[in-house]
Amino acid sequence: MFFLYTLFVLALITAVVCIAPPKAKAWCALTFVVGAGAALSAKAVEALAGGRTVGLWAARSLALGRDSGSLDPLSAFFVLLIAVGAAAATLYSRGYLGHALDRKSPAHLSLHYVALTVMSLSMLGVVASDGGYSFLFFWELMTVASFLLILFDAERREVRRAALAYLIMMHVGFVLLVVGFVRLHAATGSASFAALTPYFADHAFLPLFLVFLAGFGMKAGLFPMHVWLPEAHPAAPSHVSALMSGVMIKTGIYGILRVVAALGTPEALRTAGLIVLAAGIATGLWGVILAAAQNDMKRLLAYSSIENIGVILIGAGIALLGKSAGNPGVALCGIAGALLHTLNHSFFKSLLFFGAGNVLTQTGTTSLDSLGGAARHMPLTAALFLIGAAAICALPPFNGFVSELLIYSGMFKGIASGSDVLASAAGLTALALIGGIVALAFAKLYGTVFLGSPRSHEVAEAAEVDNFRLAAMALPLAGILFVGLFPATAATIVTRAAGFFVRTPVSASDWLLAPALTAVGRTAWLLIAVVAALAWLRHRALRARKVTQGPTWGCGFTAPNVRMQYTGESFSEGLQSIMPSLTRQDGEGDAVVKSEIFPSAHRFDIRRKDRIGNLLSAWWVELLHQINLRVMRLRTGKINHYILFALAFLTLIFILSMLNLL
Amino acid sequence: MMMAALNTLLLFLVALSIPGVINRTRARLAGRRGIRFMQHLYDLRLHLRKGAVYSSVTTALFRAMPSVYLGAAVVAALMIPVGELRPLLSFDGDVVCLAYLLALGRFALVLAALDTGSAFEGMGASREALYGALVEPALMLALGTLALLTGCTSLARIFDPAVLPGAQHAIVLLLLTYLLVKIVFTESGRVPVDDPRTHLELTMIHEVMCLDCCGVDLAMIKMAGWLKTAIFSLLAADTLAAAFCLRWWIAAPLAVALTGLTVGVVESTQARNKLSRNVIFILTIAALAALAFFTAYLLQLNIGLA
Repeated sequence: MFFLYTLFVLALITAVVCIAPPKAKAWCALTFVVGAGAALSAKAVEALAGGRTVGLWAARSLALGRDSGSLDPLSAFFVLLIAVGAAAATLYSRGYLGHALDRKSPAHLSLHYVALTVMSLSMLGVVASDGGYSFLFFWELMTVASFLLILFDAERREVRRAALAYLIMMHVGFVLLVVGFVRLHAATGSASFAALTPYFADHAFLPLFLVFLAGFGMKAGLFPMHVWLPEAHPAAPSHVSALMSGVMIKTGIYGILRVVAALGTPEALRTAGLIVLAAGIATGLWGVILAAAQNDMKRLLAYSSIENIGVILIGAGIALLGKSAGNPGVALCGIAGALLHTLNHSFFKSLLFFGAGNVLTQTGTTSLDSLGGAARHMPLTAALFLIGAAAICALPPFNGFVSELLIYSGMFKGIASGSDVLASAAGLTALALIGGIVALAFAKLYGTVFLGSPRSHEVAEAAEVDNFRLAAMALPLAGILFVGLFPATAATIVTRAAGFFVRTPVSASDWLLAPALTAVGRTAWLLIAVVAALAWLRHRALRARKVTQGPTWGCGFTAPNVRMQYTGESFSEGLQSIMPSLTRQDGEGDAVVKSEIFPSAHRFDIRRKDRIGNLLSAWWVELLHQINLRVMRLRTGKINHYILFALAFLTLIFILSMLNLL
Repeated sequence: MMMAALNTLLLFLVALSIPGVINRTRARLAGRRGIRFMQHLYDLRLHLRKGAVYSSVTTALFRAMPSVYLGAAVVAALMIPVGELRPLLSFDGDVVCLAYLLALGRFALVLAALDTGSAFEGMGASREALYGALVEPALMLALGTLALLTGCTSLARIFDPAVLPGAQHAIVLLLLTYLLVKIVFTESGRVPVDDPRTHLELTMIHEVMCLDCCGVDLAMIKMAGWLKTAIFSLLAADTLAAAFCLRWWIAAPLAVALTGLTVGVVESTQARNKLSRNVIFILTIAALAALAFFTAYLLQLNIGLA
C-alpha cells in the first residue's frame, strides 16, 4: 500500500506541475517541497528534541522482507538539512530559470520541475526509510530525477555526455547497494540498517563494509569514484548543482555513517576507521589540488565538494578510531565535526553555486579568465559569495571553522591522549594542507571573478540579479552566520544527532564540547568587535583628510591594460609547478611559440583534466566498444535469423540440461 | 587578571621591539651606528597622519581588508602565553583557532592585493597564498608535537610549568624552536624567503601586495606584520624556555633576541632564495616538523615501555 500511495503522490505532483502556467510551475514545486519538508521537519524536531525514534510507516514490501520508515535523531538531522537545501534550490530556480521560460517548451519546464520536486521528496524518503526495499526505491528515484535535472540543457553535447556518465556510475553504485542489502537480508532475514549490527557481530565485517562503502561512496564522490562530479555539476543548471552538491551527495555520507555506526568490536572499528580516514585523506587532497587547478567556476566548486566529502570522512575516521580506543571525547569530536561539516557544506556550497549561477546568467560564462571585476556590477552577489568563500576556507567567524575545529580537536585530543597518534597526525597534516590549498583555490576563484577589472564587456555590462535569487541565497547565509556565531547552540543539535554513534548521555556530550565551543563563539564575536572598532577608527581618521583616487600603481609602466592582470591560471601556477603530475593539461587552439618575438593574436584554452578521469576513456572502454561492434553483427534485422537464435538458445539449454550442467 | 594584563603588555612590547633589534643588529654587522631604536614607531606615526590615495579599480573590500588583517592578528595574539603567564583567550583547541585567524588575515590581504587588478600584486598574492598553504601543515604538526609532549590542546596549558615535558624531550623542543624560527622567517617575509628591502617588484612577495596601500592602511598592515612576527617568536621562545626554565622574564627577552638576532644576522650574511627554492625551504620546515613529531612519539613509546 505504501508504494501505491507514493505513486499517487508522484502522479499528483506531475499533474499539478503540468497544468500550472510556466511562471507558476516553480511555485507549485516550491509548495510541494516546502510542504513535505515542513511536515517531515516537524517530526524531525520531535525526534531530535526527544532523542527518540518517530515511526513513519511500516508495510510488507515487494521484496527484502518487512519494510518501514522512521526518524531517529540522525535521520532527523539529515531531514532538516535536505528540507532547507531543497527549499533554497527551488526558490532559486524561480529566478534562475526566468530567462528560460520563453526559451524552453512548457513540457520541458514541467519535466524539470517535476524532477526537481521528486528529487527533493525522494531524498527525504531516503533518509526516512529504515533500509531495504524502500531505501533502494527512493535511492533510485533520486538518481533518475537528478539525471533528468542534469539534462535540462540537453541540446548541448557535453551535457548529454555528463548526464549519461552520471547515470552509469550511479547504477554501478546502485548494484553494489543491492548486493549489500540482499546479502544482509539473506544472512539476517531483514534488510534494514538495524540488521547490520547483528550481521557485523556474527560475520566477517570487511566484505559487506567495503561493498557499502563503495556503493555509497559512488554517490558521495569518494576518490577514485568522484569522476562524475566535476562533469555533472558544470553541465547541470546552477540550482541543480547546488542541490546535488549541497544535499544529494550527503545521502552517500548518511549511508556510510549508518553502516559504520553498526560496527561493534574495537578491531572492526579500528580497521574501518583506518579505511575511512585513508579514503578521506585521499579524497580531500585529490579534490583540493584539482580544485586549485581548475579554470571554470563550477568545476572548481565541484572539486571543492569532493574535498569537503574528504574532510567529512576524515572526521568520521577519527571518530571511529576514537571509539575503537574507547575514547569518547575523540569519538564525539570527530563525529560531531563530521556531521556539522555535512550541514555546513550544504549551506556554503549552495550559496556558492547560487553565486556561480548568478555570474553565469548575468555574464554568459563561468570561465575564470574571461570574468573579473564583477563585484562592481553585482555587489550583493559578490558580498554573499565572499562570505561563502570565507566559510568554505574554514575562516573564523563563519561556520566552516566551527566544524573543522571540532575535527581538529578530535585529532589533537587523540594525539594528546596517546591513542592512534600516527593516524591522527596523518589526518592533522592532511587537513592542514587541505585548509591551506582551499584558501588558495578560493582566493583564486574570488579574485579572478569578482575583483580587478572586467576582462570582457559582458562583465562590464552585467547587472545585479533578481530578488528571488537573493532571497534564496539568504537562506544558506542565515545558516552560515548562525553556526558561526552561536557554535555552542548548533553543537547541541549535532550532539543529539551524534547519539547514534557515541552512546554517552546527552548532558555528558554537551559538557564535553560546550566549554570550547562557547569560547569559540566568544572569540568570533571578539573578532567582529575588534575588526569593527579598527574599521571605525580608520574611518574616523580618514574623515577629515584628503582621500583621492588614482590608477593602480603599475610599477612605472604607464599603459597597463586589463589583459595584464593576474589570471586564475597564473595564480595557481606555483602549486602546479610542485605537483605537475596530478593533472593532465589539455590545450585547445594554437599556443604562442617561444620563437615568436612579436606574437600576434592567439586563442588558446587550457583545461586541467583529472588523471583518474582517464579511467573512463581508457583502453578497456575501447575494447568493450570493439566487442560491441562484433556482437552487433548478430543484429541482422531479419526475423528468420532471430527465430533461429531462439531455437539455438533452446537447443543449448536442452543439451546443457541433458548433461546435468544446469 | 593581572597576569593576563601583564601577558598582553609584554606581548605588545615584544612586537614593538623586534623591528628595532633587527635594525640595530643589521646596522652593527654592517659597521654602522644605525637608526634610532624606535624609528619604526616614528615612521608609523607619520603613516597614521597621512590621507589616502585609492586605486580607482578597487572596491569597498580593499578598504575593509586592513582592518580585518590587523583585527585577526590582534585576536590571535591574545591567545599567546608569555612564559608561565596566562593569556586573555584560552580554550581547548585554541591552537587551531590561532592558525585559522592568521589564515583569515592572509586571505584578506591576498584578496585586497587581487582587488587592485595589478599583475605585480597578483604575483605577490599568488606566492603568499602558496607559501601560506605549505606552512600550515608544518605549523599544525609542530603544535601537534607540543600537544603530544604535554597531553594538552590549549596553548596556555601546553606552556604550563606544571605539565612541562621532561628533560629527555629537550632535543625535540630544540628542534621545534629551530623550525618555529624558520616559520618566523616565512611568515614575516624575511630573507631568505622574501626581502623586505628589495627594489624589484617582480621578486617581492609580501611588500608587493601592499603597493597600493598607503597612510593609515599601510600602518595597519605594518602593525599586523609586527604582531605576527611576535606571535611566532613567542611560540619559539616559549618552546625553547620550556626546555629549561619557563618564566616570563626569560621568555619575553628570549623572543626578542631569538628573532631580532637571527633575522638580523641572516639578513646581513645571506642572499635571498631564488623563488623556486622557497618551496623547498618551506617543505623542509614541514619535514622537520614531521621529524620532531616522530622523535617525540618514539620517546613517548619508550617511556611507556620502561
